[in-house]
Amino acid sequence: MTVEFAELRCERCELVTEQELHYAGRLLESVHCTNCGHRVMMRHQALVPAYLHDLEHRVLSKPQRMYLRVTRDPRGFLTGLPLALARQPAKFARELWSLLRR
Amino acid sequence: MNRTAGGPRPRAALVVLAAGEGSRVGHDTNKVLLPLAGRRVFTWSIRWAHSLPQVTQVVLVIREADRELVMGALARELPEVDVTVVVGGSSRHESEWNALQALAPSIDAGDTDVVVIHDAARPLAGAQVFRDVIEAAHRHGGALPVRDQPALTTLQDGDDPETRRTVAVQTPQAFRAEPLLSAYASASGDRFVGTDTASCVERYTDIAVHCVPGDAGNIKITFPEDLFLAERLLAKASWNLSSDRTPRAAREIRRRRR
Repeated sequence: MTVEFAELRCERCELVTEQELHYAGRLLESVHCTNCGHRVMMRHQALVPAYLHDLEHRVLSKPQRMYLRVTRDPRGFLTGLPLALARQPAKFARELWSLLRR
Repeated sequence: MNRTAGGPRPRAALVVLAAGEGSRVGHDTNKVLLPLAGRRVFTWSIRWAHSLPQVTQVVLVIREADRELVMGALARELPEVDVTVVVGGSSRHESEWNALQALAPSIDAGDTDVVVIHDAARPLAGAQVFRDVIEAAHRHGGALPVRDQPALTTLQDGDDPETRRTVAVQTPQAFRAEPLLSAYASASGDRFVGTDTASCVERYTDIAVHCVPGDAGNIKITFPEDLFLAERLLAKASWNLSSDRTPRAAREIRRRRR
């Protein structure tokens, strides 16, 4: 799970406050206001289909994204490929875990 | 000026304002640098605008503190786009003036017909709205996308029914390049600071500003809920709001641009 911080307007505080954003893969899973604790999150029933739809797009667009990378920097792509492949199982396991543990 | 079967095609420079308010403290990320469906918020709209053959230049206005993140995102997400990065000022007006100064040589040489100014916090401004404002500005002088807000009314004294339209103004907003540059040069001389682009144009020029239909999906990221909505709208559009949804046509546009 990735965590980011940003200043956004909180609906409850009615102020621009620091918000903590949690992502599952590319999808935003929840946001919480560090000032008042107001939390906005995607319902589990909506998150899983949205994640699967997003995952489908990631998989289908992967060959094109890999092609762009290899044409831009063939050497960097090839040297980084083994490590990138090795990281994938753990990455997907973390994403799935963050979805299932809710 | 390029010619197409439908008449003259304006050459437009896109200015994307991503500097924000410039008053942040701590480790907060500028909201336009947040991830949104696999890309940073600010790169989505550049991608849609750049899919148009009319857009020949891109200027991105940033905070100096964001430079490293911005350059990394541009290299990763928009490697095919030549982006001029300019540091913004303490106000929106100053940021726009900095961008226009970067474009001045091209405008003075007659290589830029229209300048399109866009807020980077509106990632879902699709190619259609960019095309509409560019063409309307080329024809009329200036163009803004607006959405009718019939639920909002204006309070007034007396019993006269309110007949004026209430609209919400969006970006991108486009203006003919030469009068826009002259207006900002005059404003700089007078130390005038406009609240938005149109206020400066109205004060220093007599060009007509034309309204084009805005898009309900062209939301501005303000509340956390907007990020959830933007994700869903992008997914619904199959993550594609470009001028043409076929990769073959996109390749053809890039080939013609070269």
